[in-house]
Order: sequence, then structure tokens, then C-alpha cells
Amino acid sequence: MINVNNIYKKFGDLSVLNGVSCKIERGEKVVIVGPSGGGKSTFLRCMNLLEFPTYGEVWLDDGLLTPIDPYLHRDIIVLSNTFKKMFDERFTDGVDRELLTEEIIAEIKHKDLLKEHGEGKDYRSAIKKLYKENLVDINQARAKMGMVFQHFNLFNNMKVIDNMIFAPVKLKKLSKEEAIAKARALLARVGLADKENAYPSTLSGGQKQRIAIVRALMMNPEVILFDEPTSALDPEMVGEVLSVMKDLAKEGMTMVVVTHEMGFAKEVATRVIFMDEGLIKEENTPEEFFNNPQNPRLKEFLSKVL
Amino acid sequence: MTNFLASGFGLFVEIFTNSEYLTMIFEGLKNTLIISLGAAVLGLILGLIVAMVKILPKNKFTVVPKAICGVYTTVIRGTPMALQLFIMTFVVFAIRGFPQIVVAILAFGINSGAYVSESIRAGLLSVDKGQTEAGRALGLKGSQTLFNIVIPQAMKTMVPTVGNEFIALIKETSIVSMIGMYDLTMVSKILAGSKYFASYFIPTTVVAIFYLALVYLVTLIIKLIERRLRKSDKR
Repeated sequence: MINVNNIYKKFGDLSVLNGVSCKIERGEKVVIVGPSGGGKSTFLRCMNLLEFPTYGEVWLDDGLLTPIDPYLHRDIIVLSNTFKKMFDERFTDGVDRELLTEEIIAEIKHKDLLKEHGEGKDYRSAIKKLYKENLVDINQARAKMGMVFQHFNLFNNMKVIDNMIFAPVKLKKLSKEEAIAKARALLARVGLADKENAYPSTLSGGQKQRIAIVRALMMNPEVILFDEPTSALDPEMVGEVLSVMKDLAKEGMTMVVVTHEMGFAKEVATRVIFMDEGLIKEENTPEEFFNNPQNPRLKEFLSKVL
Repeated sequence: MTNFLASGFGLFVEIFTNSEYLTMIFEGLKNTLIISLGAAVLGLILGLIVAMVKILPKNKFTVVPKAICGVYTTVIRGTPMALQLFIMTFVVFAIRGFPQIVVAILAFGINSGAYVSESIRAGLLSVDKGQTEAGRALGLKGSQTLFNIVIPQAMKTMVPTVGNEFIALIKETSIVSMIGMYDLTMVSKILAGSKYFASYFIPTTVVAIFYLALVYLVTLIIKLIERRLRKSDKR
């Protein structure tokens, strides 16, 4: 359902993601672990475009969320002047066309040869066409992807109930009455029915995070992204938030979780990803991931955290 | 001495009881109020627009508006208000019959906008980025997030400083008397020059009291707004 294709993210000179690809299927619970500064959060935030990838594409089902990255489409590369020129220079009788094409495409990708301007009309219109056909409204896409933040980010100017109903009512997903009924049911489910009219500043971290989770659920998302949901919590409160997340997982919610909670990864994940230096270094089922790690950096990491 | 005080008191009473003088004062007060209120509204609108342009990310679409807003605040804050008023009156709107009060509102509003924009900008920046992110992550548009989530929270830091700016504005309107407009300050000058008073002492004191009362009222209103805004802070 989410398809992240070869994304790079640079903040000025600092490159945080160096070509990450990952497909997330419906129903999966993907847990991303790794050392701080390894690009985990940035990767997650690229999925709903809170960070805009410098290169690469992000797709939600059939909808494109980013601009077209020409390097990812060989049928676009072959339309470029750079390709045509290289092909003409190298093609002689007896050379296999297919093979030469592959070779040149590989070289263009490897050496970053496509220019921003001057690649010709065919190339430009092909990009435009593909973009127009697939681009979806980013706000509608985000509404399908819930997000839970490390620092909760409840709207401080609104009561708990308004925090929950604001977006679905504003975006006309639910009527106000429906939204209130749904919010109350969700609050009861996480044991916070009595906090309906409280302001966020009066709540504990664990309470805030549980509300942040049900606020995301109000939009009926198809997937929820968790960005270190327990990292800012007192140790005592970690359990209550994790248990809400485990319940969600049991119900079949698609989840992508960046976390340091290895126990949660072992118990809930269907796939665990290890990220370091802006790359996916290892990706496996939790059993294999924890019992039989391959990457040396992962082995070192696990020996420290387990 | 007692004689002087007694006569002073008599003049004081005279101002507040003689309908002729009262009418003059209220006419001046009305103009002061119209200019202040008009300029405050204009300043608020301008300030909000300029502040929002200034917090936009830099790209090829925003570079020109951002530059314009930068020049605006620099020029307006870098030149004296009286001079700006002269320029508006004698250069920009040097049109016979153009209502002076409109010129004054424009001059003070444009001036106020430059200061208000900085207060608003500081307020908007004081709201945690996570609030915007949470709004956007739910699928809300940038404008929906700004107006419903960021601005209400920014108000808490904005209201005291913007209020301060309005108080300064009310008093600064007194310089319209320099272009011959009939405001509270002008009334004090006219009365002082009249045969009956022939002194600045009583007219200026009385007008000062009116300014003071006006500013005090605005201060009260600001405090009231601040208290309402702090509702969500109660622990």
C-alpha cells in the first residue's frame, strides 16, 4: 500500500537518507529500529511527506505523492537527449540494441547524468504525463495515514474531545454528532472517557499519547505511522501506550513503528527493519532478525540494546 | 496661591460643565478614536499578511513577496512617524478635497502594520512546529491548520505585544495636529489659545485625562482577552 522508492533526503550538506526503498503491504506491522541519527524518523516522515524527499518517489496505492523521479522510470530515461546521444555514439552494426540500452541506462543512473533542463520535449512531456496521471492530493492521502508523534502534539488550544473531532468534522468525514459519538467510544476504549473535556496541559504523557492514537483513529486511517511513540514517556507509562498499540495490531491495523522497544518489535512486528547511515541495512522477520542477524552493525547494535 | 488654585479649579469645572467646550473635546475625541480604530484595524490586517508572508518557506514563488515585506518593515520602522504623515498628506495624497481623516488612517495603519507584523510573526514562531505537523498529518490544509490551531495558540504571545502597539498608536495619533487635523491634542491647543483660558495648564491637563482614560480602557480590554486566552493553560 505504501511504496517508498529509492528516496534520498538531504538537509543542506547533511544527507540523512541515501536511497531507501521499502514496500509496506496492507496488514503488515513493520518496526524500524536503529541507532539515533540513522534516518529512521526522517524515513517515516517521508512516507506522509512531512519531510519532502530530495529524490525518489513515494506512492500510496496508485497515488503518487512526490514529483516524478526520472531515474526510476526507464521508459522516461530512454526519451532523454542524454540517452539518445550516448546510444548514437555507441551503436554500431552487430551491437545488441537491448544490451546497449540496459548498459546506458545503468550508466546514466549510476553517474547521475540526466540534466535538469535540455533533455528534450519528449522527455519533458512524458514526465508531465506520468505526473498528471498519478498525482493525488497530498491532504487526502495524509488523511488515510494516521501519525503518532514522539511529543504527542495534541492541539493545546482544544479540549480532548475537540482534538479528536476537529479534523474529521472539518474535512467532512463525519458529522459533528457522529464524530462525538465515535470519539467517546474510542476514549472509553483507551480508558479515558472521563477526560473528554480536559485540556491537554492537564494530562500525563501516557494519557496524551493514548489520546493522540485515538485522534489518529478518528480519521479511519488505512495505516498508522508511529514516530518513537514511547520515547518521551516516563517508564511507568510506556506500558499503557504499548498495550493500546498491541490491541490495534491485533485488530489488523497496518502499522509502521519507529521505536527503541525491542520487546514490542519481537512480539508484534511481522517485519523488522534495521536502519543506519540513512540506509536499510537489514530487513527480516522478527525471529531471524533477533536470533540470526547478518549485518555486523546490527549485531553490534543488538548486543548493546538487548 | 490659593487664588490661583481656586481660579484653576474654576476653569477646570468650566471645561466639564460648559457644553461648548465639551462639544469641542468630544469632537476631538471622536476624531482621535476614528483614526486610532481605523489604523488599528488596518495595521492588524497588514501585520497579519506581512507576518504570514515572512514565515513562508523561501522558494521562487515567495521570494518577491518576502522582499517587498522586508523593505516595508525596514522603511516604515526606520523613518519617523511624523515624516511619514507629512509624506502621505503632502506628497502621496496631495489631492484637493481628499478627506484628511482617511489619509491619517492610512498613514497610521501602514505604520502600525510594520510593528504589528513583527509581534504577530514572533507569536506564530512561538508555537511548536509539532502542532502544525499534527494538523497536516491529519490531512488538514495549511490554512486550516494555521487559522484553527497555530493562530489561536500564537494569540497568547501576540496579544500583549500587539496591545502595547495599539496603546502606542492611540497616543501617537496626537501628531495629526501637526497637519492641522482636529483631534484631542488640537483641542487642547485651541483652548489654550482662547481668551478664556489663555494658558496651557488646564486644557492640556483635561485632554491628558481623556487620553489616560482611553488607554486605561484599552489596557483593561487587553487584560480581559489575555485572561480568556489563558483558559487552556489552567492546570
